[in-house]
Amino acid sequence: MAPKNKKGQADAADESTSAPTLRVILPGDQLPPHEANLPTGQDEDAVSMMIDQRAPPTIKLGPGLTPMDDDTIISVKAGVLNHTDIGNRWWVESNQRRYVAAPGESVIGIVTGKTGEHYKMDIGTAQPALLPVLAFENATKKNRPNFNIGDLLYCRVAMANKDMEAELDCVNPTTGKSDGFGELKGGFAFKVSLGLARRLLDPRQAVVLRELGKHFPFETAVGMNGKVWINSASTAHTILIANAIKNSEFLSTAQCQSMVKKMVERI
Amino acid sequence: MARLDKSRTSSHQLRPFFTSQNLLNRADGSAQFDFGGTSVLCSVVGPAEVKIRDEKLDKATLEVLARPLVGVPGVKDKTIEQNIRETLEPLVLSGLHPRTLLQIVVQTMQDDGCVQSTAFNATMLALIDAGVPLNSILGSVTCMIDRKTNQVLLDPTREELAQAKSTHVFVFDNKAPPAQSKGDEDDVVMEDGDRVEGHVLFCESTGVFTEAEYFECYQVCYKGVQTVHGFLRTAVQKKFEKEHQQLQD
Repeated sequence: MAPKNKKGQADAADESTSAPTLRVILPGDQLPPHEANLPTGQDEDAVSMMIDQRAPPTIKLGPGLTPMDDDTIISVKAGVLNHTDIGNRWWVESNQRRYVAAPGESVIGIVTGKTGEHYKMDIGTAQPALLPVLAFENATKKNRPNFNIGDLLYCRVAMANKDMEAELDCVNPTTGKSDGFGELKGGFAFKVSLGLARRLLDPRQAVVLRELGKHFPFETAVGMNGKVWINSASTAHTILIANAIKNSEFLSTAQCQSMVKKMVERI
Repeated sequence: MARLDKSRTSSHQLRPFFTSQNLLNRADGSAQFDFGGTSVLCSVVGPAEVKIRDEKLDKATLEVLARPLVGVPGVKDKTIEQNIRETLEPLVLSGLHPRTLLQIVVQTMQDDGCVQSTAFNATMLALIDAGVPLNSILGSVTCMIDRKTNQVLLDPTREELAQAKSTHVFVFDNKAPPAQSKGDEDDVVMEDGDRVEGHVLFCESTGVFTEAEYFECYQVCYKGVQTVHGFLRTAVQKKFEKEHQQLQD
């Protein structure tokens, strides 16, 4: 990583007081300049480095980090500081319950309204999102999909802007294929925290899904907006899976395994 | 010095803290903060849909509701509401969520003095829990000056507050004081050279006091707030460690 602090920053106050493995930072904490290759100039979210040609030229800031007017980088969210050397990216992994739409994310939405050109979708954001009726595979002006209020759809955020309603689609715009997006028929949907949803989507971390899969088959769709949909052969299994997922948030791997085992034995 | 509060030995000692986060099921963020026998529960909902009447085009609307221990909210609660809202407005990066509502509800659970400071700290933890973008975090403590002994007592109980000549509520943020700027005295300079400074976000003093007494209170509270900040950090860190333990093993 960052070899040396070439600029000799005076304010190299290291804010990281956390354990070596987990670096928890709070709002207002500075990104330690000697580690981040503290930059000199900046634009929107990529800050250019003009100190050393050998050093990575840019630093990319992800969610939770903001450059300030005085060239320091501060965190605006509490969470775990993450970094990859590829592209010198820094971001804060935080957990919350309220979803804020970001482009490219897969979400589960509920149809709450219908106009001529759009479906109004509840994806958990402050304002309802819009889903154009033509944003489906094989949809034309003559052949449009028909959904009712209350239907569940798995879709992707096509456009997200803080000043406007988010726009969704259920189709890959380049290929015209559905890519697995579309209506979720049957099953059961419930809400979890955004952090848990993110972990369920990461195959390395989804311990609970792996454990449940050993006992019975089920379908699942996880939205980045914290909505989880499951479908299994029987209602009893569906309830068990939903409870197991909700329980797993603050458990370690071993605790998770024994929790699933106990629940399956009781059924 | 002996205090009326028998559990403490020093006049600059704080009561034991307690916090609990994420305890309300339906709010986006919630936290309880205790200073000894004083306890405040705070919930945060947002960014949520806002009534057209309250909508601001370029930033989020901040709404604070304070609920008293018993009865309906009165003038005192409205003051706390206003104080919290005006202190938080520069702290919350409300420009990131325009045309939304951020509703904060502060409920007093137990009152043994310093409710306002406890409410500030509970609100901060609830905002962190809700993941609201902030540019720094705040910490608050209250101190008072005893009528008879003229002594500054940190974090007084209700019993002690009855003997107060004046009370002072201070809120500081967690930005490091400009330590490098030794020499250039453009900020508050203590007469004895013992310079302690932080960014005061809010201060409310009631009663009769001299300038020297005020600055003494300021110093005592600033030192007390450092403990609060440390505690808030530990509380948040513990929560994330619990969340990430699956990744660890």
